[in-house]
Amino acid sequence: MAQYLPVLALLVLAGLFAGLSFVASKIFAPRNPTAEKLAPYECGITPGRDLPERFPVRFYLVAMLFVIFDIEIVFLYPWAVNYQELGLFGLVSVLIFSALVFESFVYLISKGALDWGPLQVSRRQDPMRSADRTTASTVRRVGQDGRTVTVLDAGVAAEEAGSGVAA
Amino acid sequence: MIALVAQDTQTVALPGPPVVWSLLWPFLILAVGGVLLVTVTSVVPVLRGRSFPAAFTCLTALASGLSLIPVWQRVDRLDLVGGTIGSGTEGPRSLVSGAYAVDGFTVFVTGVICVSVFLTALLLDGYLRREGLDGPEWYVLMLMSASGGVLLASANDLIVSFLGLEILSIAAYVMAALHLRRAESQEAGFKYFVLGALASAFFLYGIALVYGATGSTTLQGIFAAGPNAAGLDPRTDSSLILAGMALLLVGFAFKVSAVPFHFWAPDVYQGAPSPVVAFMASGVKVAGFAGLARIFLYAFQPYWADWRPAIAALAVLSTIVGGLLALAQRNVKRMLAYSSINHAGFMLLAIHAAASPDDGGQRGAEALLFYLLAYTVMVTGTFGVATIVGGRGDGRHDLDDYRGLSRSNPLLAGVMAILLFSQAGVPFTSGFFAKFRVIGALASDGSYALGGAAMLAAVISAVLYLRIVVSMFLIDNGEAHEADHEAVDAVAGGRAAPEAEGDTLVEASPEASVLTSVRAPAPTALLAVCLAAAVTLVLGLLPDLGGGILSDAASALLLAG
Amino acid sequence: MIPVALLAAESAAPAPFALLPSLIAVPVLTAVFIALLPANRGDFAKAAALVGSTITGAISLFVLAVFEKGDPGFQLVSQHSWVSSLGLSWILGVDGISLFLVVLTGILFPIAIVTTEAHHEPKPYYLWLMLLMAGSMGAFLALDLLLFFLFFEVVLVPMYFLIGGWGHGERVKAAMKFFLYTMAASALMLVGIVSLAVLVGRETGVPTFDVRVLAENSDVLSHTAALLIFLSFATAFAVKVPLFPLHTWLPDAHTEAPTAGSVILAGVMLKLGTYGFIRFGLYLLPEIAHELAWIFLTLGVVGIVYGAAVATMQKDLKRLVAYSSIAHLGFIVLGVFAMNAQGLTGAVLQMVNHGVSTGALFILVGWVYERRHTREIALLGGLQGVAPIMAAVFTVVMLSSIGLPGLNGFVGEFLILLGAFSSARWWAVVGVSGVILAALYLLWAYQRVFHGPVSGDNEKMSDLKLSEMFGIAPLIALIIAMGVYPKPILDRIEPSVDALVAHIGQRVDGFSEQEPEPVAPAGVDELIATAEASGHGGEAEAQEAEEGAE
Repeated sequence: MAQYLPVLALLVLAGLFAGLSFVASKIFAPRNPTAEKLAPYECGITPGRDLPERFPVRFYLVAMLFVIFDIEIVFLYPWAVNYQELGLFGLVSVLIFSALVFESFVYLISKGALDWGPLQVSRRQDPMRSADRTTASTVRRVGQDGRTVTVLDAGVAAEEAGSGVAA
Repeated sequence: MIALVAQDTQTVALPGPPVVWSLLWPFLILAVGGVLLVTVTSVVPVLRGRSFPAAFTCLTALASGLSLIPVWQRVDRLDLVGGTIGSGTEGPRSLVSGAYAVDGFTVFVTGVICVSVFLTALLLDGYLRREGLDGPEWYVLMLMSASGGVLLASANDLIVSFLGLEILSIAAYVMAALHLRRAESQEAGFKYFVLGALASAFFLYGIALVYGATGSTTLQGIFAAGPNAAGLDPRTDSSLILAGMALLLVGFAFKVSAVPFHFWAPDVYQGAPSPVVAFMASGVKVAGFAGLARIFLYAFQPYWADWRPAIAALAVLSTIVGGLLALAQRNVKRMLAYSSINHAGFMLLAIHAAASPDDGGQRGAEALLFYLLAYTVMVTGTFGVATIVGGRGDGRHDLDDYRGLSRSNPLLAGVMAILLFSQAGVPFTSGFFAKFRVIGALASDGSYALGGAAMLAAVISAVLYLRIVVSMFLIDNGEAHEADHEAVDAVAGGRAAPEAEGDTLVEASPEASVLTSVRAPAPTALLAVCLAAAVTLVLGLLPDLGGGILSDAASALLLAG
Repeated sequence: MIPVALLAAESAAPAPFALLPSLIAVPVLTAVFIALLPANRGDFAKAAALVGSTITGAISLFVLAVFEKGDPGFQLVSQHSWVSSLGLSWILGVDGISLFLVVLTGILFPIAIVTTEAHHEPKPYYLWLMLLMAGSMGAFLALDLLLFFLFFEVVLVPMYFLIGGWGHGERVKAAMKFFLYTMAASALMLVGIVSLAVLVGRETGVPTFDVRVLAENSDVLSHTAALLIFLSFATAFAVKVPLFPLHTWLPDAHTEAPTAGSVILAGVMLKLGTYGFIRFGLYLLPEIAHELAWIFLTLGVVGIVYGAAVATMQKDLKRLVAYSSIAHLGFIVLGVFAMNAQGLTGAVLQMVNHGVSTGALFILVGWVYERRHTREIALLGGLQGVAPIMAAVFTVVMLSSIGLPGLNGFVGEFLILLGAFSSARWWAVVGVSGVILAALYLLWAYQRVFHGPVSGDNEKMSDLKLSEMFGIAPLIALIIAMGVYPKPILDRIEPSVDALVAHIGQRVDGFSEQEPEPVAPAGVDELIATAEASGHGGEAEAQEAEEGAE
């Protein structure tokens, strides 16, 4: 049982550190809230309404792909540490493993998972969606989305949208 | 699993046993074929079309099946068995540090899985065209799943079994949900996933307990720790190993949908795309039974008196409940799901007989293998017809949708009738001899009551096959429900993508409810179901075809222990 | 234990060519031919079926011709290994018991085809009929228990389609009932067959389903095992016959079936049950058959009385004939379980008689229905006036069914009663009442349908066409010929029956003592003489009944 003592100690220390950090920031941090600071962050543009409820599922997809590929690295780490001992056998194993990971990457690219804008595949499949839509048009549309319902006057909104795209 | 194989490449630092690559070919062809297919179609988008992946999958299955022939010749040396799976150059043997076993049994099961892949690939081709879906993913996943099935059947170590089970299942979950436009498909995939994951958890926990009880995860090790081993009191840890066996059994029972672990099957079979169901009911189930037979008849052979009653209970419940619940259904895919539960009961009975210490053992193992082959062909063919009749949108699976099939497409109706009668166990079809072998094995074992119960359950399940036959042949198409059909068609037509080629409704004809998919089915799908019916008849007339193969493979399964 | 090879060597006179297999092969090939006909040439199907079934019938007559008269064993045996790993072999053979059932099948099918029409979709109709013929032939010829079961089961499928596809009224329900009833009953038979083969095989060391081997060695079974196996067989056969409490599928199936279906069902398929009782009950497990004979005698007698009583009350002519079948089959069961030479000979003969006369009755009822579109007895009447030839034919067939001396029915019934009287006296006494009841319901029905004033639509009814007369003529000829001179038939049946009785006597303790007079083959003439002499009595009975009815 004794060999688990450091683990226990680390657990306690970690808990203490997290708790103390919160308490410390509460006590020592300067506080000066303004309306701008409390507003949700949206590309530096003043939000005209609540956060948009819908945004492309692609964001999730990218996040998930990141997690997946990130996890693969975890498998490479132990191999790298033990490279000497594992020798050629380890190298071949890891090469096969990497090939499979790379393989899935190739598949993702071919599926258009990393394309931005409307999918090649879905454009062919779904006639309801206009084939004319491009990356630029999609982004501008999203930019205008928050604008059209804003209390600001339409001219300013259009101007700001234009500058947003340019930026 | 590639990594696993690579483990045994001759290395400097970690010397492993030599890998006999030639014996691994059947498995490697399936696995590498899947990877290759996804790579090629990714790099060369032109090949993402519909014909190439199907042809590639068929060829892969065929190649894997052909590569079994030299393997069989090397492995089928029962005189060299010597009681256990050896490591010589001939005869049954284990490879890759004892993780993977190749003997007559695994060769046979691999062959059956290849048959399932081949037929399903033919079905998928027509299905994807009709549904306006594309992408090689279906085929890739099926090849992957099949390779997992082969791994599960060939595993000589519980950890490898688990790997195989997961590869087999995860691909199948995705396939069930792959029809993106159908909510039912998504629902089926989700249900399948949740319950499958539960089963995997049971399975894994079972492995842990068995390991705890015996100190080994290899099948040989578990067997050796049993009562037969010298100097080891088997009963010291009996509660632990019993619990482990029970959990493993539950895990497998989920996979093969045996009552009372069958609840997912009807829902999933109903919702999942029909060709995928064909594969799930054949390939996936076959692999599950192979793993179950291998682990219980070999590793847990010393404890056969403990687990046999449980198998018998599962079997009898499956045959009876499967038959009875089917009576209340009107959805053909659901009915067939219950029928597959009924068949699962029969196969469990074969395993029950195979555990017999006397001459029922060999007959039981033979019965199991024959049943696996016959069942795979029958069920793939039956769901193949369901695929064709399902029409665009894959939604026409009501009993009424089969009405008048004998007029609109006599060939299809005839094929379906052969397959259904075979499932009912009518003589001169493979289904009869499958059931007959099981009954024979049970009689040799002295389990007459089990045989009687199973036969009565078979009669109950015959009702469901007859109901479908009645719909196809005996009820006129124009008699009733005409309006209903038109309404359904309109909905189905509106739901599907307008520009997808394929079916159009035949308007203003007395058989307005019949889609062109029924009148002119995809040639590949028709080929698949005709092949299935032909094999069913041939196996019914010449059930001895390859009788030597059957008995050798069965001996290999039993002698392994 | 008798090796299989030895048994094969014993059977005399090898067939000139594959005679018995061709009885199965010709109908199957005809079916294949019909299946390959183009869809628009359905009209050709009937001709093909007629040719195919006639060839088969001719072969069956040839079998009759080459059959060795005095040989009690199986003849023309065709034996091939089929599924050696399961011990299943392809063994066909005929003896005196199955010979005439084969001939009956060979004769009834072409007649059923020529006298009836398929009203729609002729192609599948004749296809199923041909498969049915092949299956029936196979069941009567099979000497391998499992092979018998295969044929016994497979005939359900074509019959199911015939009833369900071309029947009347509640045809689908009747077809389902027929299929499930029979299948349920024979499900346990499969377990029984397998158990029998396994248990016997364990003793002899040779796994086989060969009936001859099993029959010689079945005494190794324990009493319980033999009892259970016999019961599993008996259930299957009792449903097929059908015996009294298990008969409920029959009236529906017979009534709703198309005419040809009814003819075959009554003429051929019911015989599978009684034939099964003889071949696979008495021959395989004589001890148990003897022990339980009283049950089957009772059920047979109940069937006779019940079938006749219910038939009397029927309003539907076809249903009446269906119930009369139950009564007639009761007689056959009575003869079978009398378990002596006269009873069994009579039972075998009566199977053929019933096939001929009930087949003819169903054909006639079918013709009436075709012309009048009703089978309600109440709606028919006075047909004698408008259709005298039909009335004459009906009279002959009906009298044969009643058992009028000089016609075939009498010889069989008399032998059965004679046999039953010597071994099961009280059952025979009750059974005799069936003869009177048969006269009652058939004559009464005849009177209501054919006598009296012609009314309504009946006036427009046409008489038999020439083709129809030719169609039914062979049956009429058989009815008369078998009634007047049954000796050639009895000569061929008796040796086998005697051998069977000897087999039973060998196996059952105290069996031979209770049998008063073992009949030697030479006694046949005597028997006929007795039969003819006592014929007047039967005639008188019939007349009495006729008078009573009027």
